[in-house]
Amino acid sequence: MCGIIGYVGFREARTVLLESLKRLDYRGYDSAGVAIIDKHLKTYKEVGEIANVEKKIPLLKGTTGIGHTRWATHGAVTKENAHPHLSCDKKIAIVHNGIIENYTALKEELKKKGHRFLSQTDSEVIVHLIDDVYKGNLEDALIAAIKKIKGSYAIVAVSQDEPGKIIGARNESPLVIGVGDSENFIASDITAFLKYTNRVMFLNDGELCVITTDSIQVLDRNKNHIKKKEELITWDVTDAEKSGFPHFMLKEIYDQPETVHHVLRGRISEMEEKITFPDPVEKLLKAELNSIHIVACGTSFYAGFVGKYLIEQLTNIPVFVEPASEYRYFGSRNETSLIIAITQSGETADTLAALREARLSGSKTLVITNIIGSTATRIADGYILQQSGPEIGVAATKTFTSQIMVLFLLALKIAIYQKKLGSNELYNYLLHLKYLPRHVRDVLERSDEIIAVASHLKDATSVFFIGRGINYPLSLEGALKLKEISYIHAEGFAAGELKHGPFALLTKDTPVVAIVTQDETYEKILANIGEIKARGSPVIAIAEDKDTEIENHADYVLRFPTSPHLLPCIPITVVLQLLAYHVADLRKCPIDKPRNLAKSVTVE
Amino acid sequence: MIKKAVILAAGEGKRLRPFTETMPKVMLPVANKPLLEYVFDATKKSGIDEIIVVVGYKKEVIMEHFKDYKNIKITYVIQDRQLGTAHALLQAKKHIKDTFIVLAGDNIIDSASISKLVKDPTDHALLIKEHPHPSKYGVVIVENRNISRIVEKPKEDIGKYISTGIYKLPRSVFSDIERCTAQGAHALSSVIQSLIEQGTHINTLLAKSWMDIVYPWDLITVNETMIQTTSEYTSGTIEKGVTIKGPVCIGKDTRIYAGCYIVGPVVIGNSCEIGPHTCIFPSTSIGNNTVVHPFSEIRSSVIMNDVHIASTAHISRSIIGKGCIIGDNFSTITGKTIIEIDNEFKKLEIPIGTMMGEDCSVESHVVVDPGKIIGRKCKISPMKHIRKNISSETKVM
Repeated sequence: MCGIIGYVGFREARTVLLESLKRLDYRGYDSAGVAIIDKHLKTYKEVGEIANVEKKIPLLKGTTGIGHTRWATHGAVTKENAHPHLSCDKKIAIVHNGIIENYTALKEELKKKGHRFLSQTDSEVIVHLIDDVYKGNLEDALIAAIKKIKGSYAIVAVSQDEPGKIIGARNESPLVIGVGDSENFIASDITAFLKYTNRVMFLNDGELCVITTDSIQVLDRNKNHIKKKEELITWDVTDAEKSGFPHFMLKEIYDQPETVHHVLRGRISEMEEKITFPDPVEKLLKAELNSIHIVACGTSFYAGFVGKYLIEQLTNIPVFVEPASEYRYFGSRNETSLIIAITQSGETADTLAALREARLSGSKTLVITNIIGSTATRIADGYILQQSGPEIGVAATKTFTSQIMVLFLLALKIAIYQKKLGSNELYNYLLHLKYLPRHVRDVLERSDEIIAVASHLKDATSVFFIGRGINYPLSLEGALKLKEISYIHAEGFAAGELKHGPFALLTKDTPVVAIVTQDETYEKILANIGEIKARGSPVIAIAEDKDTEIENHADYVLRFPTSPHLLPCIPITVVLQLLAYHVADLRKCPIDKPRNLAKSVTVE
Repeated sequence: MIKKAVILAAGEGKRLRPFTETMPKVMLPVANKPLLEYVFDATKKSGIDEIIVVVGYKKEVIMEHFKDYKNIKITYVIQDRQLGTAHALLQAKKHIKDTFIVLAGDNIIDSASISKLVKDPTDHALLIKEHPHPSKYGVVIVENRNISRIVEKPKEDIGKYISTGIYKLPRSVFSDIERCTAQGAHALSSVIQSLIEQGTHINTLLAKSWMDIVYPWDLITVNETMIQTTSEYTSGTIEKGVTIKGPVCIGKDTRIYAGCYIVGPVVIGNSCEIGPHTCIFPSTSIGNNTVVHPFSEIRSSVIMNDVHIASTAHISRSIIGKGCIIGDNFSTITGKTIIEIDNEFKKLEIPIGTMMGEDCSVESHVVVDPGKIIGRKCKISPMKHIRKNISSETKVM
């Protein structure tokens, strides 16, 4: 999604801004721009790559500036619509993330006052609102402006008349301050300035900040000062390098033996047969639970769907999985229900909105996220970190498996509290959870077989994924991975549902990927494969090592190591990820930056 | 002043199989730290401020591990085919402007010896070392402190000094390498030999401590030496009734249960569970996420990450690869023996137990004869007595 960076200090703003924008580029963007105060305010923006902007900027010495990468929401992808936006006298520049809901009314009003608009964006009204009341103090003007705005925003502004000063404001869109020595930063994402500093301050909704070379003031809308604590971030930007892999996505797939283990680290004890979560989480799980709602978007939604099967099978508590964008308006709420929100970034706008709704209605809320200090962790009653490290590839891989691992531990912990598991059963699960990294390694080693099968899929126009039980959400995720990076149309179905409609689409050229585990659904899924084969569609089975029967049914078989019930969901996911990756690679798609997609979606 | 060092880390280490099937030789763990990290640390300490690492075989493992290494600037260059040390060095050419140091990433060296080489006034110099078994190395014949000849793996006894492969060389050496590789000589020692023949003086300096790992069992002896250099610390949870003597390192989130008896030097990684009532004796390193059940005894061994050892195991002078699952009552027998490796017979001078590759799964009551090498991903049924080497991905029924 859109990225923001602001810099004030002693370095040339040009270098810092461009460097930081490049750090943000994994979020996806279609145009970029910067504004630097070098005696006068100078603005450069272009459609396409950041490099296009870089070529246009002369070697400015100015040390104050703001930058932006845009992912179009209002208005087409044009140079005019790219940020920063300027006031009529070109003395004030702003960058903005989020959506201004009442911008049409504001725009009309401003036009009547003689303001000239150059773009079709909602963002441009902000700079004219500021300009309208500006009397030499930018924070006063910004406060006046945001009082008129309805919607979500992270705004960063500079004025030519006040060089060496940057103003920021946040509401429902992420904005963080980076604290340096004789320099300070403000950005939508820590990654932007992590190269320069790892000391950060998080802004809350409704807060503003005034940043100069050597001071940071945080204010509320009434100009009262707010005390903020500095936090240390332990990630480093080099974390985000590819370590010799051709794509971030492949590196992140290969990170999984480690990241799967990270989830368990410090949380399970084999000898004591114990799972430990932070106290606020334990309190939530211990309480009376009549139902659980899992709300999330995209891949996290599918992780939640896997979670439904895990929790229901282990605890018998009903679980409802709902897209966050639906739940926030239509979900049912009650006080004995636990709301589990899953958001990798902790900033997904729809999920945050759903979380706020749930809190208002008195439900208990729990967040599973990757980012400590993110908005979600501050809204919810308790949070669990998935500890997968930064994920750069737009297609989620390791964060998905980590989310499932967290949900697995949650399901087991609830089952322990509800006294649903015998000690032998629990020990068996704990032991085999610890064996999972091995199983993932095992799948990674068989990538040659997966590449061979990928070559049969690369020219398909449509691919179906089917599974039963917990394999059903996995087939949805498998289809999502394939379509998002290889641009092949793909759909996931519950295997039993196939003949109630989708069957009509099957032809000899529609490969079907079937996930087959040797549980109570085994006979049934073999029958489904038979029905598909009868229509002439090629079948690729993903089956366990011990399954010797499957060769007689499927055209191609990909294997994962056999393990007890429910546990294969992790190695199966890895097979699906590698399959999608290799198909996309054979089709020469831009795997780390698929078209039209953004890493964290901070608009609704 | 010399600022840059080139470290050669592209090699596979075939003689160290099965341990090098999934990682390059330089990543073998010694006291829970890859060999290469010792080389990086020593290089940094000697005053060098940029390292160019030549990577090739399984390069991702190296690059992934050192992405967090902040002590020194690291630049990677890639050698696609492992033709030889001179060819490897040539890959670093564009990053070198002045005289530089070149080291092998799989040899442990002390920083003082590198400083000595850095400060030496000559342009060409080599660190040499006295060795009891010179015949498996490049033997250096020295005259007036200059090299007169290097003989690779001589059959007869011609001298006791061997080349450590750590050189100081001027930038001009790259044109010498290009000339030699064009004639098909890809080893750095051949290039040096040809320089000597042209009358170049190559100074020799004596290295203080230098260690090489050639065969799997060398890992046990090198581990024994290097584990003494680790500094003591304890983290994690140590229950009441645990006895700890001597220098012991215990990592984050590790739990040591009551009744354990640990005698240092011992290094235990993060997130392990040990005990109750487990004994760990000197010169043992245990990797991350490893579990050792009650009443097991481990001494002078290298246990890598993610290993699971059930109760009442006896593991002595052995190597257990990453991810092995070992059933109860596993027993290693130690002894001096003759080992066949790479079609050669090697007589061991020290007693050795089992050397087990990654991801093996061993069921209960298995006994292994001294010096046996078990490949990776082997499966061994209960009550088996392993009397010979087992190749990778074998099932012993």
